[in-house]
Amino acid sequence: MARTVSRPEMTLAEKAYVPEIVKGLKVTMGHFLKGLFTPETLPVQSYPEVPSVIPRNYRSKHRLMKRPDGEPRCVACMMCSTACPANCITIKAGESADGRIEKKPAKFEIDLLVCVFCGLCAEACPVDAIRMDTRVVALAADQRRKFKVGLKDLMDWDPKDYPESDTQSQKAPGGLLNAEARKQWGIS
Amino acid sequence: MIDFDLPFWLSCAKFALVFIPLCLIPICIFLERKGASLMQDRYGPNRANIPLLGGFRFFGFVQNLPDGIKLFTKENFIPRGAHTFWYLLAPMIPLAVALLTPSVIPWFGPMVVEGARGLTSVSGQILDADAGVLVLFALSGLSVYGVVLGAWASNSKYALLGGMRASAQMISYEVSMGLSAAGIFLVVGSFSLTQIVEWQAAHTWGIVVQPVGFVLFLTSLFAETGRAPFDMSEGESEIVAGYFVEYSAIRFGLYYMGEYAHIAIAGALVSTLFLGGYQIPFMDTEAVRANLGLVSGAIVAAIALTALGIAWMVRRWARIYARLSAKDATDRKREYGVLNILFTLAGIGMLAVAVALVVLVQPAKIAVAGIDVWPLWVNLGTAVVQVGTLLVKILAICWVFVWVRWALPRFRYDQVMALGWKIMLNVALVNLLVTAVVAKLVKG
Repeated sequence: MARTVSRPEMTLAEKAYVPEIVKGLKVTMGHFLKGLFTPETLPVQSYPEVPSVIPRNYRSKHRLMKRPDGEPRCVACMMCSTACPANCITIKAGESADGRIEKKPAKFEIDLLVCVFCGLCAEACPVDAIRMDTRVVALAADQRRKFKVGLKDLMDWDPKDYPESDTQSQKAPGGLLNAEARKQWGIS
Repeated sequence: MIDFDLPFWLSCAKFALVFIPLCLIPICIFLERKGASLMQDRYGPNRANIPLLGGFRFFGFVQNLPDGIKLFTKENFIPRGAHTFWYLLAPMIPLAVALLTPSVIPWFGPMVVEGARGLTSVSGQILDADAGVLVLFALSGLSVYGVVLGAWASNSKYALLGGMRASAQMISYEVSMGLSAAGIFLVVGSFSLTQIVEWQAAHTWGIVVQPVGFVLFLTSLFAETGRAPFDMSEGESEIVAGYFVEYSAIRFGLYYMGEYAHIAIAGALVSTLFLGGYQIPFMDTEAVRANLGLVSGAIVAAIALTALGIAWMVRRWARIYARLSAKDATDRKREYGVLNILFTLAGIGMLAVAVALVVLVQPAKIAVAGIDVWPLWVNLGTAVVQVGTLLVKILAICWVFVWVRWALPRFRYDQVMALGWKIMLNVALVNLLVTAVVAKLVKG
């Protein structure tokens, strides 16, 4: 169905341009005076002294979830690296020490410069091993190779930084539910 | 041995006035940045500070310093295929022109002083030419050479496009600029800028007799200085940057400074032609001299009130502490505390000076060779007052430039040409015609 777009004719005052200029000048002067006399009302944040608040569900730098004993939860199934549209995940599988689990990643590397932060890896993971909720967005390094983060970097997170409601994170070593989880796993 | 000739040395001392537009450049840049940011609901530059002065930031004014250091220390790049001589020459032209133009602007009223050859009149212009305003227009038109030459010598098609657009625009608007200013020449009956200002002091400001001419002239000056909404010579999305795209470091800085010096000159020109020039409203030069104590006292009192107002603003801006980090808030508290005390003390001190000026300064004429003239200190004091008045008017016009830039969207190129040739030129011609008829009927 065709939609009629109304194109209102300009009035004489608008065509004359000068009254509209005066209106525009009023707007800018209003903003100027408001900012000058009540600077505390401006929608401004003193970044970087005051860090910005990033929501939990923001897709930021990745992390690998940990089992209660501190091993990576990843089973090296290659789902994430297959799903990755940027091909930034490199996984090399190795044998797991735990008899109940077949594989573990011997190498897990993400090139953060190549990553497009789409979140498909986190969605593809069948064991909820990779997450993108660290809220780290300011990635900086002086060399390109330092942007290739490996297992050690990805697992270097603290359960205390995550809320109590995030039970999966709290089962990792140092978390609130770790002792309980270790008991369930049968490890002391 | 040469006799000490006071008028000669006064004329030499007047050359210092050439540097006024240069001194106005950092103030204009500060005005632009702070005005722009507050109009866009931002704070604007506020991080640069002087470590030697306790990390004071002076509300972002210090930002000019690192910018200048950066421009001076960066690499002076010359692109391959550029015409080196012209490439190096071009950025100097706008700033050189901006340094030349103040020589024909009257900065204070003519004064009569006693010299080696009797009483001599010293003009407020460095170059007291009868056709001073023509010199001014000629110099103002010269600055387009810097733009076109730089654009052509850069050996870059984007720069050339920007330069062509700038030159076409400036030439178009120079026509309506001259024609809109012609009205005031007809009314006054002189090309001499000093006489135009004196006429305005005796009758009324030019903006009252030539309101249409004022608007046209101001608009033409926006186009002439290449400011928004007429910034055709620049355009990130169309021609990368404009005529200065190949310039880096201080050569780019020269263009940048030339633009702001041009704005200062434009402000001086508008003030001189339409806003009473160096005259204080409702007082001609003679009245200022007779009441120098009162006038200077009132001005110092006004400055004192401004200082107290700034102190009040500092206390007001202290409300943003709550939004800063702890360390930052401590630093700002210290700075704002010191500034508050400084400005309050300065305001109170200057109020005392104002009272002293009103009471103590009692100018009286002295007789030299049978003619009553004002003593030298009265003349010099009046000159200082009048230069200050003109500076205030220039800064007000500079503020209008900033204000308009952030209020209006820029024109398309064909709209600029249509406005210049089809509307402004015609309005200026009609204005000139009406003025000529009225002037003939009134003056006879």
